[in-house]
Amino acid sequence: MELTVTGTNAITSPFLHAWDWRVALYLFLGGMAAGLAVMSSILRLKNAGKSAEGESASFWGPLWVPIILSFGMLFIFWDLDRKLNVYWLYLTFKPFSPMSWGSWGLLLFFPVCALNALVTMPGEYRHWLRFDVLRTLVDRLQPHKRLLAILNFVFGIFVGLYTGVLLSAFVARPFWHSALLPLLCLVSALTAGAAFMAIIAKRKAVKLFFTKVNVSIVIAELIVMVLFSIGLATSQGGAVMPSFSFILEYLLYGMAIALVAKLLLVTDERSDALPDRAVLLMQVSAAMVLAGGLMFRISLVYAGQLSHLV
Amino acid sequence: MPKYAMVIDQRRCVACMACVVSCKKENEVPPEHFRTRVLEMVEGEFPKLRMELRSELCNHCDNPPCVANCPTGASYKREEDGLVLLKKYRCVGCKACLAACPYDARYINPDKGFADKCTFCEHRIKEGKEPACVATCIGKSRIFGDMDDAKSPVRVALQGAHAEVLLKHAGTQPRVYYIKKFSKPE
Ligand code: SF4
Ligand code: SF4
Repeated sequence: MELTVTGTNAITSPFLHAWDWRVALYLFLGGMAAGLAVMSSILRLKNAGKSAEGESASFWGPLWVPIILSFGMLFIFWDLDRKLNVYWLYLTFKPFSPMSWGSWGLLLFFPVCALNALVTMPGEYRHWLRFDVLRTLVDRLQPHKRLLAILNFVFGIFVGLYTGVLLSAFVARPFWHSALLPLLCLVSALTAGAAFMAIIAKRKAVKLFFTKVNVSIVIAELIVMVLFSIGLATSQGGAVMPSFSFILEYLLYGMAIALVAKLLLVTDERSDALPDRAVLLMQVSAAMVLAGGLMFRISLVYAGQLSHLV
Repeated sequence: MPKYAMVIDQRRCVACMACVVSCKKENEVPPEHFRTRVLEMVEGEFPKLRMELRSELCNHCDNPPCVANCPTGASYKREEDGLVLLKKYRCVGCKACLAACPYDARYINPDKGFADKCTFCEHRIKEGKEPACVATCIGKSRIFGDMDDAKSPVRVALQGAHAEVLLKHAGTQPRVYYIKKFSKPE
Protein backbone atom coordinates (compact mmCIF):
# COMPACT_ATOMS: atom_id res chain seq x y z
CA MET A 1 0.00 0.00 0.00
CA GLU A 2 1.48 3.31 -1.07
CA LEU A 3 0.54 6.02 1.34
CA THR A 4 0.83 9.63 0.32
CA VAL A 5 -0.48 12.41 2.48
CA THR A 6 0.26 15.88 1.24
CA GLY A 7 -0.50 19.12 2.99
CA THR A 8 -2.10 17.54 6.05
CA ASN A 9 -1.92 20.97 7.54
CA ALA A 10 -5.06 21.80 5.66
CA ILE A 11 -5.69 25.21 7.12
CA THR A 12 -2.50 26.63 5.68
CA SER A 13 -2.58 24.55 2.52
CA PRO A 14 -2.78 26.72 -0.53
CA PHE A 15 -5.52 26.66 -3.08
CA LEU A 16 -6.11 29.16 -5.77
CA HIS A 17 -9.52 30.62 -6.08
CA ALA A 18 -8.77 33.88 -7.74
CA TRP A 19 -11.35 34.09 -10.49
CA ASP A 20 -14.96 33.03 -10.57
CA TRP A 21 -17.94 33.07 -12.96
CA ARG A 22 -17.54 36.81 -13.52
CA VAL A 23 -14.22 36.26 -15.28
CA ALA A 24 -15.72 33.32 -17.21
CA LEU A 25 -18.58 35.57 -18.36
CA TYR A 26 -16.13 38.34 -19.24
CA LEU A 27 -14.17 35.96 -21.42
CA PHE A 28 -17.33 34.55 -23.00
CA LEU A 29 -18.90 37.94 -23.71
CA GLY A 30 -15.57 39.46 -24.80
CA GLY A 31 -15.07 36.49 -27.13
CA MET A 32 -18.61 36.76 -28.48
CA ALA A 33 -18.22 40.51 -29.13
CA ALA A 34 -14.94 39.80 -30.92
CA GLY A 35 -16.47 37.01 -33.01
CA LEU A 36 -19.46 39.19 -33.82
CA ALA A 37 -17.15 42.01 -34.92
CA VAL A 38 -15.41 39.60 -37.29
CA MET A 39 -18.64 38.08 -38.64
CA SER A 40 -20.49 41.37 -39.11
CA SER A 41 -17.44 42.75 -40.94
CA ILE A 42 -17.45 39.70 -43.19
CA LEU A 43 -21.09 40.36 -44.05
CA ARG A 44 -20.28 43.97 -44.88
CA LEU A 45 -17.13 43.23 -46.89
CA LYS A 46 -18.41 40.14 -48.73
CA ASN A 47 -19.45 40.69 -52.37
CA ALA A 48 -18.45 44.36 -52.04
CA GLY A 49 -21.28 44.91 -49.55
CA LYS A 50 -24.03 43.38 -51.69
CA SER A 51 -24.75 40.60 -49.17
CA ALA A 52 -25.48 43.20 -46.50
CA GLU A 53 -28.14 44.97 -48.58
CA GLY A 54 -31.64 44.63 -47.15
CA GLU A 55 -30.29 42.68 -44.17
CA SER A 56 -30.99 44.26 -40.81
CA ALA A 57 -28.21 42.18 -39.17
CA SER A 58 -25.68 44.25 -41.10
CA PHE A 59 -26.59 47.07 -38.68
CA TRP A 60 -27.74 45.14 -35.59
CA GLY A 61 -24.65 42.91 -35.70
CA PRO A 62 -22.17 45.81 -35.40
CA LEU A 63 -24.46 47.52 -32.86
CA TRP A 64 -24.47 44.51 -30.57
CA VAL A 65 -20.64 44.42 -30.52
CA PRO A 66 -20.11 47.45 -28.20
CA ILE A 67 -23.17 46.47 -26.14
CA ILE A 68 -21.97 42.91 -25.50
CA LEU A 69 -18.44 44.19 -24.94
CA SER A 70 -19.72 46.68 -22.34
CA PHE A 71 -21.43 43.88 -20.43
CA GLY A 72 -18.26 41.81 -20.58
CA MET A 73 -16.19 44.71 -19.28
CA LEU A 74 -18.76 45.28 -16.55
CA PHE A 75 -18.19 41.74 -15.30
CA ILE A 76 -14.40 42.09 -15.22
CA PHE A 77 -14.76 45.42 -13.46
CA TRP A 78 -17.07 43.77 -10.94
CA ASP A 79 -14.37 41.19 -10.31
CA LEU A 80 -11.72 43.79 -9.43
CA ASP A 81 -11.23 44.00 -5.68
CA ARG A 82 -10.05 47.62 -5.69
CA LYS A 83 -12.21 49.22 -8.32
CA LEU A 84 -11.22 52.79 -7.54
CA ASN A 85 -7.65 52.06 -8.61
CA VAL A 86 -8.73 51.05 -12.09
CA TYR A 87 -7.12 54.16 -13.62
CA TRP A 88 -3.68 52.68 -12.87
CA LEU A 89 -4.30 50.22 -15.70
CA TYR A 90 -4.17 53.21 -18.03
CA LEU A 91 -1.19 54.92 -16.45
CA THR A 92 0.94 51.84 -17.03
CA PHE A 93 1.86 49.62 -19.92
CA LYS A 94 3.46 46.32 -19.01
CA PRO A 95 4.67 44.50 -22.13
CA PHE A 96 4.74 41.06 -20.47
CA SER A 97 1.34 41.36 -18.83
CA PRO A 98 -1.49 40.06 -21.05
CA MET A 99 -3.93 41.89 -18.79
CA SER A 100 -2.16 45.15 -19.60
CA TRP A 101 -2.43 44.38 -23.34
CA GLY A 102 -6.09 43.54 -22.82
CA SER A 103 -6.90 46.77 -20.98
CA TRP A 104 -5.28 48.88 -23.70
CA GLY A 105 -6.61 46.70 -26.51
CA LEU A 106 -10.20 46.99 -25.29
CA LEU A 107 -9.77 50.73 -24.89
CA LEU A 108 -8.91 50.93 -28.60
CA PHE A 109 -11.41 48.31 -29.75
CA PHE A 110 -14.37 49.99 -28.09
CA PRO A 111 -14.35 53.25 -30.10
CA VAL A 112 -13.61 51.36 -33.31
CA CYS A 113 -16.59 49.03 -32.90
CA ALA A 114 -18.83 51.86 -31.69
CA LEU A 115 -17.94 54.01 -34.73
CA ASN A 116 -18.43 51.01 -36.98
CA ALA A 117 -21.92 50.55 -35.51
CA LEU A 118 -22.71 54.23 -36.09
CA VAL A 119 -21.67 54.28 -39.74
CA THR A 120 -23.68 51.17 -40.56
CA MET A 121 -26.81 52.75 -39.11
CA PRO A 122 -29.54 52.85 -41.78
CA GLY A 123 -31.43 56.12 -42.54
CA GLU A 124 -34.56 55.14 -40.64
CA TYR A 125 -32.64 55.02 -37.36
CA ARG A 126 -30.72 58.26 -37.88
CA HIS A 127 -33.10 60.09 -35.54
CA TRP A 128 -31.54 58.05 -32.70
CA LEU A 129 -28.50 60.28 -33.00
CA ARG A 130 -29.53 63.12 -30.73
CA PHE A 131 -26.49 65.33 -31.12
CA ASP A 132 -25.44 67.24 -34.21
CA VAL A 133 -21.83 66.42 -33.55
CA LEU A 134 -22.65 62.68 -33.82
CA ARG A 135 -24.55 63.18 -37.06
CA THR A 136 -21.66 65.17 -38.51
CA LEU A 137 -19.20 62.51 -37.38
CA VAL A 138 -21.23 59.75 -38.99
CA ASP A 139 -21.45 61.76 -42.25
CA ARG A 140 -17.71 62.38 -42.25
CA LEU A 141 -16.98 58.71 -41.66
CA GLN A 142 -19.24 57.40 -44.44
CA PRO A 143 -16.39 57.25 -47.01
CA HIS A 144 -14.35 55.18 -44.52
CA LYS A 145 -17.01 52.53 -43.92
CA ARG A 146 -14.87 49.82 -45.47
CA LEU A 147 -11.79 50.79 -43.49
CA LEU A 148 -13.81 50.67 -40.26
CA ALA A 149 -15.16 47.23 -41.15
CA ILE A 150 -11.59 46.03 -41.77
CA LEU A 151 -10.38 47.53 -38.48
CA ASN A 152 -13.32 45.91 -36.70
CA PHE A 153 -12.33 42.58 -38.21
CA VAL A 154 -8.67 42.93 -37.17
CA PHE A 155 -9.55 43.99 -33.61
CA GLY A 156 -12.05 41.13 -33.43
CA ILE A 157 -9.28 38.65 -34.17
CA PHE A 158 -6.97 40.37 -31.65
CA VAL A 159 -9.56 40.32 -28.84
CA GLY A 160 -10.61 36.74 -29.67
CA LEU A 161 -6.98 35.62 -29.34
CA TYR A 162 -6.48 37.74 -26.23
CA THR A 163 -9.21 35.88 -24.31
CA GLY A 164 -6.93 32.85 -24.57
CA VAL A 165 -3.56 34.56 -24.19
CA LEU A 166 -4.71 35.99 -20.86
CA LEU A 167 -4.85 32.47 -19.43
CA SER A 168 -2.17 30.72 -21.47
CA ALA A 169 0.52 33.09 -20.21
CA PHE A 170 0.49 31.54 -16.72
CA VAL A 171 3.35 29.06 -16.43
CA ALA A 172 2.05 28.32 -12.94
CA ARG A 173 -1.20 26.78 -14.25
CA PRO A 174 -0.37 23.84 -16.53
CA PHE A 175 -3.98 23.48 -17.63
CA TRP A 176 -3.91 26.92 -19.22
CA HIS A 177 -0.28 27.00 -20.23
CA SER A 178 -0.74 25.79 -23.79
CA ALA A 179 0.11 27.55 -27.03
CA LEU A 180 -3.11 26.09 -28.45
CA LEU A 181 -5.33 27.87 -25.94
CA PRO A 182 -5.40 31.28 -27.71
CA LEU A 183 -6.32 29.50 -30.95
CA LEU A 184 -9.02 27.51 -29.19
CA CYS A 185 -10.44 30.68 -27.65
CA LEU A 186 -10.35 32.44 -31.01
CA VAL A 187 -12.32 29.71 -32.77
CA SER A 188 -14.73 29.59 -29.83
CA ALA A 189 -15.19 33.37 -30.15
CA LEU A 190 -15.79 33.05 -33.89
CA THR A 191 -18.40 30.31 -33.42
CA ALA A 192 -20.21 32.47 -30.86
CA GLY A 193 -20.11 35.44 -33.27
CA ALA A 194 -21.39 33.39 -36.20
CA ALA A 195 -24.13 31.84 -34.03
CA PHE A 196 -25.22 35.30 -32.90
CA MET A 197 -25.36 36.52 -36.50
CA ALA A 198 -27.36 33.43 -37.50
CA ILE A 199 -29.85 34.20 -34.73
CA ILE A 200 -30.36 37.89 -35.50
CA ALA A 201 -30.27 37.69 -39.31
CA LYS A 202 -33.64 38.37 -40.94
CA ARG A 203 -33.02 37.00 -44.44
CA LYS A 204 -32.97 33.25 -44.64
CA ALA A 205 -30.05 33.32 -47.08
CA VAL A 206 -27.94 35.24 -44.56
CA LYS A 207 -29.01 32.92 -41.74
CA LEU A 208 -28.00 29.95 -43.81
CA PHE A 209 -24.69 31.55 -44.72
CA PHE A 210 -23.74 32.06 -41.06
CA THR A 211 -25.00 28.61 -40.14
CA LYS A 212 -22.68 27.15 -42.76
CA VAL A 213 -19.78 29.32 -41.61
CA ASN A 214 -20.51 28.21 -38.07
CA VAL A 215 -20.47 24.52 -38.88
CA SER A 216 -17.03 24.86 -40.50
CA ILE A 217 -15.64 26.75 -37.51
CA VAL A 218 -17.23 24.37 -35.00
CA ILE A 219 -15.54 21.46 -36.78
CA ALA A 220 -12.24 23.39 -36.65
CA GLU A 221 -12.85 24.04 -32.93
CA LEU A 222 -13.50 20.38 -32.22
CA ILE A 223 -10.23 19.49 -33.95
CA VAL A 224 -8.28 22.10 -31.96
CA MET A 225 -9.97 20.86 -28.80
CA VAL A 226 -8.85 17.29 -29.49
CA LEU A 227 -5.28 18.57 -29.95
CA PHE A 228 -5.57 20.69 -26.80
CA SER A 229 -6.83 17.66 -24.85
CA ILE A 230 -3.97 15.51 -26.15
CA GLY A 231 -1.59 18.22 -24.97
CA LEU A 232 -3.26 18.18 -21.56
CA ALA A 233 -3.23 14.43 -21.27
CA THR A 234 0.50 14.36 -21.91
CA SER A 235 1.32 17.23 -19.54
CA GLN A 236 0.75 18.21 -15.95
CA GLY A 237 -2.49 19.92 -16.92
CA GLY A 238 -4.13 16.56 -17.59
CA ALA A 239 -4.63 16.00 -13.87
CA VAL A 240 -7.60 18.34 -13.82
CA MET A 241 -9.01 17.77 -17.26
CA PRO A 242 -12.70 18.74 -17.08
CA SER A 243 -13.69 15.80 -19.24
CA PHE A 244 -17.33 15.96 -18.24
CA SER A 245 -17.92 19.47 -19.49
CA PHE A 246 -15.75 18.91 -22.57
CA ILE A 247 -17.81 15.84 -23.47
CA LEU A 248 -21.01 17.84 -22.92
CA GLU A 249 -19.66 20.53 -25.18
CA TYR A 250 -18.87 17.96 -27.88
CA LEU A 251 -22.40 16.66 -27.50
CA LEU A 252 -23.95 20.10 -27.83
CA TYR A 253 -21.82 20.99 -30.83
CA GLY A 254 -22.43 17.59 -32.38
CA MET A 255 -26.19 17.94 -31.97
CA ALA A 256 -26.07 21.49 -33.34
CA ILE A 257 -24.28 20.24 -36.45
CA ALA A 258 -26.63 17.28 -36.78
CA LEU A 259 -29.66 19.58 -36.59
CA VAL A 260 -28.56 21.63 -39.56
CA ALA A 261 -26.67 18.93 -41.46
CA LYS A 262 -29.30 18.65 -44.18
CA LEU A 263 -29.43 22.41 -44.65
CA LEU A 264 -25.75 22.47 -45.46
CA LEU A 265 -26.54 20.96 -48.85
CA VAL A 266 -28.89 23.82 -49.73
CA THR A 267 -27.39 26.25 -52.22
CA ASP A 268 -27.51 29.97 -51.53
CA GLU A 269 -29.74 30.78 -54.52
CA ARG A 270 -32.68 28.80 -53.15
CA SER A 271 -32.08 29.53 -49.50
CA ASP A 272 -34.55 32.44 -49.19
CA ALA A 273 -37.29 29.92 -49.90
CA LEU A 274 -36.37 27.69 -46.96
CA PRO A 275 -39.33 26.46 -44.89
CA ASP A 276 -39.91 27.88 -41.39
CA ARG A 277 -38.90 24.56 -39.89
CA ALA A 278 -35.41 25.01 -41.35
CA VAL A 279 -35.21 28.49 -39.82
CA LEU A 280 -36.17 27.06 -36.43
CA LEU A 281 -33.45 24.40 -36.75
CA MET A 282 -30.88 27.08 -37.51
CA GLN A 283 -31.99 29.15 -34.50
CA VAL A 284 -31.84 26.13 -32.16
CA SER A 285 -28.46 24.98 -33.40
CA ALA A 286 -27.03 28.51 -33.03
CA ALA A 287 -28.38 28.67 -29.45
CA MET A 288 -26.71 25.33 -28.70
CA VAL A 289 -23.40 26.60 -30.04
CA LEU A 290 -23.69 29.64 -27.74
CA ALA A 291 -24.45 27.36 -24.77
CA GLY A 292 -21.43 25.18 -25.64
CA GLY A 293 -19.22 28.27 -25.85
CA LEU A 294 -20.35 29.50 -22.43
CA MET A 295 -19.73 26.10 -20.91
CA PHE A 296 -16.27 25.98 -22.44
CA ARG A 297 -15.32 29.31 -20.83
CA ILE A 298 -16.68 28.35 -17.42
CA SER A 299 -14.90 24.99 -17.34
CA LEU A 300 -11.72 26.63 -18.63
CA VAL A 301 -11.61 29.27 -15.89
CA TYR A 302 -12.39 26.88 -13.04
CA ALA A 303 -10.27 23.93 -14.18
CA GLY A 304 -7.19 26.07 -14.74
CA GLN A 305 -7.23 27.22 -11.15
CA LEU A 306 -7.17 23.65 -9.91
CA SER A 307 -3.98 22.88 -11.77
CA HIS A 308 -0.59 23.32 -10.16
CA LEU A 309 2.93 23.03 -11.34
CA VAL A 310 4.59 20.09 -9.60
CA MET B 1 23.68 46.31 -2.20
CA PRO B 2 22.49 43.34 -0.19
CA LYS B 3 20.92 40.35 -1.92
CA TYR B 4 18.52 39.01 0.65
CA ALA B 5 17.70 35.33 0.72
CA MET B 6 16.38 32.68 3.07
CA VAL B 7 17.53 29.17 3.80
CA ILE B 8 15.10 26.61 5.18
CA ASP B 9 17.04 23.85 6.88
CA GLN B 10 14.37 21.17 6.81
CA ARG B 11 16.51 18.91 9.03
CA ARG B 12 15.85 21.25 11.92
CA CYS B 13 12.12 21.90 11.52
CA VAL B 14 9.78 20.35 14.08
CA ALA B 15 6.56 21.80 12.61
CA CYS B 16 5.79 23.79 15.73
CA MET B 17 4.19 26.49 13.55
CA ALA B 18 5.72 29.28 15.62
CA CYS B 19 6.80 30.95 12.37
CA VAL B 20 3.25 30.88 11.03
CA VAL B 21 1.90 32.46 14.20
CA SER B 22 4.61 35.10 14.48
CA CYS B 23 4.13 36.07 10.85
CA LYS B 24 0.41 36.45 11.32
CA LYS B 25 0.93 38.63 14.37
CA GLU B 26 3.78 40.70 12.97
CA ASN B 27 2.05 41.46 9.69
CA GLU B 28 -1.55 41.46 10.86
CA VAL B 29 -2.40 38.83 8.30
CA PRO B 30 -6.21 38.56 8.04
CA PRO B 31 -8.04 35.46 9.27
CA GLU B 32 -7.88 32.43 6.99
CA HIS B 33 -4.89 33.83 5.10
CA PHE B 34 -1.20 33.07 5.53
CA ARG B 35 2.03 34.52 4.25
CA THR B 36 3.90 31.42 5.26
CA ARG B 37 2.88 27.84 5.95
CA VAL B 38 4.47 24.59 7.00
CA LEU B 39 3.47 21.65 4.86
CA GLU B 40 3.52 18.22 6.46
CA MET B 41 3.86 15.50 3.88
CA VAL B 42 3.97 11.79 4.65
CA GLU B 43 4.90 9.37 1.93
CA GLY B 44 6.06 5.82 1.52
CA GLU B 45 4.82 2.34 2.30
CA PHE B 46 3.98 1.32 5.84
CA PRO B 47 6.04 0.83 7.95
CA LYS B 48 8.65 2.61 5.87
CA LEU B 49 7.18 6.05 6.03
CA ARG B 50 8.92 9.32 5.50
CA MET B 51 7.77 12.71 6.60
CA GLU B 52 8.77 15.99 5.07
CA LEU B 53 8.14 19.26 6.84
CA ARG B 54 8.44 22.15 4.46
CA SER B 55 8.05 25.82 5.22
CA GLU B 56 6.78 27.75 2.26
CA LEU B 57 6.61 31.48 1.65
CA CYS B 58 7.16 33.96 -1.13
CA ASN B 59 10.47 33.09 -2.80
CA HIS B 60 11.28 36.68 -3.79
CA CYS B 61 12.07 35.23 -7.19
CA ASP B 62 14.72 36.83 -9.38
CA ASN B 63 12.48 36.23 -12.38
CA PRO B 64 9.09 36.78 -10.75
CA PRO B 65 6.05 35.95 -12.93
CA CYS B 66 3.83 37.85 -10.49
CA VAL B 67 5.67 41.07 -11.37
CA ALA B 68 5.65 40.40 -15.12
CA ASN B 69 1.91 39.70 -15.07
CA CYS B 70 0.87 42.66 -12.92
CA PRO B 71 -0.84 45.12 -15.28
CA THR B 72 -0.54 48.16 -13.04
CA GLY B 73 3.06 47.95 -11.84
CA ALA B 74 1.81 47.45 -8.26
CA SER B 75 3.97 44.33 -7.90
CA TYR B 76 7.61 45.15 -8.38
CA LYS B 77 11.10 43.89 -7.66
CA ARG B 78 13.08 46.37 -5.63
CA GLU B 79 16.35 47.06 -7.35
CA GLU B 80 18.50 47.69 -4.29
CA ASP B 81 17.90 44.38 -2.50
CA GLY B 82 15.82 42.22 -4.84
CA LEU B 83 12.79 42.02 -2.58
CA VAL B 84 9.51 41.50 -4.42
CA LEU B 85 7.12 44.05 -2.93
CA LEU B 86 3.81 45.78 -3.55
CA LYS B 87 2.81 49.35 -4.08
CA LYS B 88 -0.61 48.85 -2.59
CA TYR B 89 -1.93 52.20 -3.78
CA ARG B 90 -1.57 50.96 -7.37
CA CYS B 91 -3.12 47.52 -6.92
CA VAL B 92 -6.45 47.09 -8.67
CA GLY B 93 -7.16 43.66 -7.18
CA CYS B 94 -7.21 41.89 -10.55
CA LYS B 95 -5.60 38.75 -9.10
CA ALA B 96 -3.33 38.15 -12.11
CA CYS B 97 -0.38 37.85 -9.71
CA LEU B 98 -2.18 35.18 -7.67
CA ALA B 99 -2.72 33.12 -10.78
CA ALA B 100 0.85 33.72 -11.95
CA CYS B 101 2.66 32.62 -8.77
CA PRO B 102 3.61 28.93 -9.04
CA TYR B 103 4.03 28.81 -5.25
CA ASP B 104 0.57 30.14 -4.37
CA ALA B 105 2.30 32.63 -2.13
CA ARG B 106 -0.23 35.44 -2.54
CA TYR B 107 -3.70 36.26 -1.31
CA ILE B 108 -6.14 39.12 -1.62
CA ASN B 109 -6.65 41.07 1.57
CA PRO B 110 -10.37 40.49 2.14
CA ASP B 111 -10.94 43.87 3.82
CA LYS B 112 -8.82 46.12 1.66
CA GLY B 113 -8.92 44.26 -1.68
CA PHE B 114 -5.22 44.49 -2.56
CA ALA B 115 -2.91 41.56 -3.19
CA ASP B 116 -0.54 40.75 -0.36
CA LYS B 117 2.26 38.37 0.53
CA CYS B 118 5.47 37.89 2.49
CA THR B 119 7.83 40.86 2.36
CA PHE B 120 10.72 39.15 4.19
CA CYS B 121 9.53 41.56 6.93
CA GLU B 122 11.00 44.47 5.02
CA HIS B 123 10.00 46.83 7.85
CA ARG B 124 12.12 44.82 10.31
CA ILE B 125 15.09 44.46 7.94
CA LYS B 126 15.15 48.25 7.75
CA GLU B 127 15.66 48.33 11.51
CA GLY B 128 18.46 45.76 11.32
CA LYS B 129 16.27 42.92 12.59
CA GLU B 130 15.59 39.52 11.11
CA PRO B 131 12.18 38.61 9.65
CA ALA B 132 9.73 37.65 12.42
CA CYS B 133 9.57 33.99 11.38
CA VAL B 134 13.36 33.70 11.49
CA ALA B 135 13.63 35.44 14.85
CA THR B 136 11.04 33.13 16.36
CA CYS B 137 12.16 29.82 14.85
CA ILE B 138 13.06 27.60 17.81
CA GLY B 139 14.90 24.99 15.75
CA LYS B 140 16.89 27.57 13.78
CA SER B 141 15.41 26.04 10.67
CA ARG B 142 14.78 29.41 9.08
CA ILE B 143 17.94 31.34 8.28
CA PHE B 144 18.08 34.78 6.72
CA GLY B 145 20.84 36.95 5.31
CA ASP B 146 22.67 38.55 2.45
CA MET B 147 23.83 36.16 -0.28
CA ASP B 148 26.54 38.60 -1.34
CA ASP B 149 28.16 38.50 2.11
CA ALA B 150 30.33 35.39 2.52
CA LYS B 151 29.97 35.58 6.31
CA SER B 152 26.20 35.92 6.39
CA PRO B 153 24.19 33.10 8.03
CA VAL B 154 22.67 32.04 4.70
CA ARG B 155 26.04 31.60 3.03
CA VAL B 156 27.40 29.74 6.03
CA ALA B 157 24.35 27.45 6.12
CA LEU B 158 24.62 26.65 2.44
CA GLN B 159 28.29 25.77 2.60
CA GLY B 160 28.72 22.04 1.98
CA ALA B 161 24.98 21.46 2.05
CA HIS B 162 22.93 20.22 -0.83
CA ALA B 163 20.38 22.96 -1.26
CA GLU B 164 17.46 23.01 -3.63
CA VAL B 165 14.86 25.52 -4.68
CA LEU B 166 11.20 24.74 -5.24
CA LEU B 167 9.94 24.20 -8.80
CA LYS B 168 13.28 25.03 -10.36
CA HIS B 169 11.89 24.16 -13.81
CA ALA B 170 9.41 27.05 -13.53
CA GLY B 171 12.33 29.36 -14.29
CA THR B 172 11.46 31.75 -11.48
CA GLN B 173 14.92 31.69 -9.87
CA PRO B 174 13.74 31.62 -6.26
CA ARG B 175 15.70 33.10 -3.37
CA VAL B 176 14.49 30.63 -0.78
CA TYR B 177 16.78 27.62 -0.56
CA TYR B 178 15.91 24.28 1.03
CA ILE B 179 18.33 21.95 2.73
CA LYS B 180 16.49 18.64 2.60
CA LYS B 181 16.43 16.16 5.40
CA PHE B 182 17.34 13.01 3.55
CA SER B 183 19.20 14.20 0.52
CA LYS B 184 22.93 14.06 0.17
CA PRO B 185 25.17 16.35 -1.84
CA GLU B 186 25.39 15.11 -5.43
S1 SF4 C 1 7.09 33.27 -4.93
FE1 SF4 C 1 5.30 33.95 -6.11
S2 SF4 C 1 4.76 35.91 -5.21
FE2 SF4 C 1 6.84 35.48 -4.53
S3 SF4 C 1 8.16 36.49 -6.07
FE3 SF4 C 1 7.92 34.35 -6.72
S4 SF4 C 1 6.19 34.41 -8.11
FE4 SF4 C 1 6.11 36.33 -6.96
S1 SF4 D 1 -3.87 42.08 -7.92
FE1 SF4 D 1 -2.70 43.99 -7.71
S2 SF4 D 1 -0.56 43.34 -7.51
FE2 SF4 D 1 -1.72 41.59 -8.30
S3 SF4 D 1 -1.51 41.72 -10.53
FE3 SF4 D 1 -3.42 42.79 -10.02
S4 SF4 D 1 -2.80 44.93 -9.77
FE4 SF4 D 1 -0.91 43.73 -9.69
